[in-house]
Amino acid sequence: MTAWNLRPIASALWRNRTGALLVAFQIAIGLAVLVNAVYIVKQRVEKISRPTGMDTANMIFVASAGFARDFDYDASWREDIATLRAIPGVQAASVISNIPLSGGGSSSGFQARPGETNPEKTVPGNTYLIDEQGVDALGITLSAGRAFEPQEILPPTPTFDAASQAIVTKAFAKSLFPDDPNPLGKTFFDGLSRPITIVGVIEHMHGAWVSWDKLDHVVLFPRIKTGPSAIYVVRAEPGRQDAVMREIEAKLGDSNPGRLMRWVRPMSYFIEQSYLDDRNMAIFLVSVTGVLLAVTALGIFGLATFNVSTRIRQIGTRRAVGARRMDIVRHFLVENWMVTTAGVVVGCAGALAVGYWLSVKYQLPRLDLYYLVGGVLAIWLIGLLAAWQPARRASAISPAVATRTV
Amino acid sequence: MLEMNGISKIYRTDLIETHALRNFSLKVGDGEFVAVTGPSGSGKTTFMNVAGLLESFDTGSYKLDGADVSRLSDEQRSRLRNEKIGFIFQSFNLIPDLDIYDNVDVPLRYRRLAAKDRDQRIKSALEVVGLSSRMHHMPSQLSGGQQQRAAIARALAGDPRFLLADEPTGNVDSLMARQVMDLLEQINEMGTTIIMVTHDPELARRAHRNVHIVDGQISDFRPYEPRAEIEAAAVAHGPAPMTMTPA
Amino acid sequence: MFGYYLKLASRNLRRNPGLTALMIGAVALGIAVCVMTLTMYRALSGNPIWWKNDVLYAVTMDFWDPTEEYFDSKPGVPPWQLTYRDALAVFASDIPKRKVIMHKAVGTLSLEDRQARPERVTTRVTTTDFFGAFDVPFQYGGTWAPSADTGPEPVMVISRAMNEKYFGGRNSVGERIRWNDNEFRIVGVRDHWMPLPSFYDVNNGSLEEPEDVYIPFGWNAALEIYSAGNTQGWKAEEINSYRDFLNSENIWIQMWVELPDENARRRFQDFLDNYAQEQKQAGRYGRPLNNRLTPVDQWLVDNDVVGNDDRVLVGLAFAFLAVCLLNTVGLLLAKFLNGAAMTGVRRALGASRRQVFMQHLVEVGVVSSIGAALGLALGGLMLMGLRALYTVDPTDQGGTQALAQVDMTSVATALALAFVATIAAGLYPAWRIGRIPPATYLKAQ
Ligand SMILES: Nc1ncnc2c1ncn2[C@@H]1O[C@H](COP(=O)(O)OP(=O)(O)OP(=O)(O)O)[C@@H](O)[C@H]1O
Ligand SMILES: [Mg+2]
Repeated sequence: MTAWNLRPIASALWRNRTGALLVAFQIAIGLAVLVNAVYIVKQRVEKISRPTGMDTANMIFVASAGFARDFDYDASWREDIATLRAIPGVQAASVISNIPLSGGGSSSGFQARPGETNPEKTVPGNTYLIDEQGVDALGITLSAGRAFEPQEILPPTPTFDAASQAIVTKAFAKSLFPDDPNPLGKTFFDGLSRPITIVGVIEHMHGAWVSWDKLDHVVLFPRIKTGPSAIYVVRAEPGRQDAVMREIEAKLGDSNPGRLMRWVRPMSYFIEQSYLDDRNMAIFLVSVTGVLLAVTALGIFGLATFNVSTRIRQIGTRRAVGARRMDIVRHFLVENWMVTTAGVVVGCAGALAVGYWLSVKYQLPRLDLYYLVGGVLAIWLIGLLAAWQPARRASAISPAVATRTV
Repeated sequence: MLEMNGISKIYRTDLIETHALRNFSLKVGDGEFVAVTGPSGSGKTTFMNVAGLLESFDTGSYKLDGADVSRLSDEQRSRLRNEKIGFIFQSFNLIPDLDIYDNVDVPLRYRRLAAKDRDQRIKSALEVVGLSSRMHHMPSQLSGGQQQRAAIARALAGDPRFLLADEPTGNVDSLMARQVMDLLEQINEMGTTIIMVTHDPELARRAHRNVHIVDGQISDFRPYEPRAEIEAAAVAHGPAPMTMTPA
Repeated sequence: MFGYYLKLASRNLRRNPGLTALMIGAVALGIAVCVMTLTMYRALSGNPIWWKNDVLYAVTMDFWDPTEEYFDSKPGVPPWQLTYRDALAVFASDIPKRKVIMHKAVGTLSLEDRQARPERVTTRVTTTDFFGAFDVPFQYGGTWAPSADTGPEPVMVISRAMNEKYFGGRNSVGERIRWNDNEFRIVGVRDHWMPLPSFYDVNNGSLEEPEDVYIPFGWNAALEIYSAGNTQGWKAEEINSYRDFLNSENIWIQMWVELPDENARRRFQDFLDNYAQEQKQAGRYGRPLNNRLTPVDQWLVDNDVVGNDDRVLVGLAFAFLAVCLLNTVGLLLAKFLNGAAMTGVRRALGASRRQVFMQHLVEVGVVSSIGAALGLALGGLMLMGLRALYTVDPTDQGGTQALAQVDMTSVATALALAFVATIAAGLYPAWRIGRIPPATYLKAQ
């Protein structure tokens, strides 16, 4: 203990406390912000990087809007699908009612028993209408059962009807039949108590709204989307997405004057759009927190440098009476560490308070204490690094300044 | 105790080289009390700095207690300063943020002594200089003389064999200067070797031996001639002090 | 005297250039981040039609599922859209000065001769009062006649941008244009208009750009138009035709009314309650009576138009400013105290406490002025970066474009705030240094 000189350093600090307190407050704010920011960013990054269950890297969506009064929707989608499937590099193509992960879609409630009135027992699902190549075009994996057969695909209706067969995700089946590990072949019911048979089970797939907790509840029906607007999902062979997209533009672009080819877009466009706010929040938090810590570090650095430059004579005197270079470095580091630690103590309370406030006010999950520990260590390290150079400079001061400096 | 042979020290700046010490040789025996005099700018402080291992030198050899110090690392020099050498500065150099007790404690801390030992040494050193009652005053709450006595206590607390005082009385009145001198004599009698720079001929005469430095060299061993020295001191601040030094 | 203080300040600041740069940099960064965040926040949270806050109301009625709340997190707040038939029934009232029922759809715009390429356009299917109720400016022409609402007559208002595209920006009133291959006649061209947040329909987020074209509400039934926003239902109903859809419990219509005074407001509220009571008696629904007339301010709160993330960011910006200011105060204080000996000499030479205080305050002022100027420039750059961050497709920027148009009011607010904060922060060091008795530092070694 003697070597660390804690008490005299502390009492000298206390005598010039205003400056030290200001730095401590910066550190406290820095810690509170750092811990919570990292926690929020972690959640966002986890959210963005969840597996989608689909072959998103190779998927392309095409939107066609028929508008002419004499537009023949039925002929149009048949022709389009045939054209798409004939393009070299296309693995599969299907008509689809909505674009997964796009923030637009359709959902309905389903029940395990007909006529169920308990709203708690209604299981919501993201619903999509696809054709026989839909499973392939989405690139999803079936853990049981099969894809739809061509003869099972029902024609479009003007009334949003579903179908009596469905392929559902494991998660959806689990919510519907919590006690049954093998839902294949089982029957569930829509809001009007019409029966639906499960013919396939999807290992995992994401639906429409990325912030919805039922994102992985997906139900696929064998039916063609209602016209006169069509959406096609196309899965290209790996590495051929760009070429296929160009080919689609060329083939479908002006094939029919009664409709407008709205766009041909890669799946990544929609995912990016959906997670834009989360991604931007993460970018924001990271950059503002980074700059904030840099400012704090510069503050520590500036104050330490300034302290060194105003204490040159005192340092010389210490050297003259026998302090080694290491002693001087240690003196400044210890002094700085005390300030940092004072800030860290206040900052811990601040971090917990902010975390609590966020969890109450904005329904964010409660702050994990590991993050606090990590934050404290990080702040200590930043403090040490910021004070290191000034401390080194102090130790290079010649002991002769004791006799020379006026 | 101290043996310098042909030491030279050159300060280099962008514009000029200053030969602060040239071919400087001096021997100081154990228990001696040497007063160093000389006109301003003659190299007295430089000599003290070299002697106290605060600065290195360019050529020559320097033995302290029989050991050659020219090759020592910074670490070893610090250790020697801490254990064998005590410093008293003209401008006291007390650390303004620390009270008197903590100021005296500074060199003891660097020696890693046990808390009890330190406490005892601090108290007895303050006792010697008569500041026991002001232990917890801040330097700015003391008079100049008291500050200098506190600085002496700090130099004494480590029990140095060798005390270097650069114009210890330069910033105090003549009555206080005599008291400081009494204190130094008392310390010297207990066996500590003392080298003191002074401009005060009266104080210089009280030392065992006088060393007169002119232009970085020892000019002559001779007792002070008060009148001449007073003149020299009077013109020391003039534009060309070198020409006025009695050679 | 001020000139002398300025001279002293600039000399002092130049003596430690690194320290000065650090202080100015901290102030500039703090201000920049605040300008950026506040501009964004204002764009997202301000009431873009505050002058009508006491006359313009969103109409909501709770016809939702008798067994469940509409908002989990906000019990008691009714759904924010109406069913088609309720909207039409309430629209029949002649109490409001202006009444709007509407929804957003998409359609394809084309010309008879197919000269211009057909274009997919966002379309507001609405009533004639839309433009008057929301103070929408016109470049040419104006809204359609009230009779066109239900007729419905083939009349259309197009946006300035569409007018540029199809008619080269000339006065196109009276021209023919086709929407989903049905002929419409242009009666007005809407001028630039970008209310932020887009409050009147919160379906598609708060940075949505206003629609490209506007057609009368009556065309819904005639052309079987579906909503491009959310359509939500709670009841399992057999829907076999568009007629069935219009009569269903699905909610997809937004309704706003302008009620000029308290009396009208009360009468219209009574009207709503009566209507709901009748429906209840007819056995249509089972929720407690809960009809609301919500002014825009409250509407923005009820519908979470300002996301939680945005509030967190504003909090973050203030934490940031606080750190920057603490930083500056700390450095200023250290700097001033270091010069205390010189200040002591000045005091000894006759400077009054007030003069010493003023001298240092001028120094603070110099630091904060330079910092504020730099901060403003930096904030502008950051806003441009922000725009890039929100743009996925460069051809489709929506309201983010408005974000980059630095709004002068919010800049002034942020700037004033930061400037005042810095000066206030500098007061302490200046005061502290002025208070030191001159003798202390003259005596010290
Ligand atoms: N760091 C330095 N750089 C350059 N020259 C120096 C330096 N320190 C001292 N000198 C020069 O060395 C010479 C000797 O200086 P020194 O301080 O030893 O004189 P002194 O005898 O102690 O004088 P005084 O009685 O006025 O204190 C002077 O000419 C001085 O200008
Ligand atoms: Mg000297």
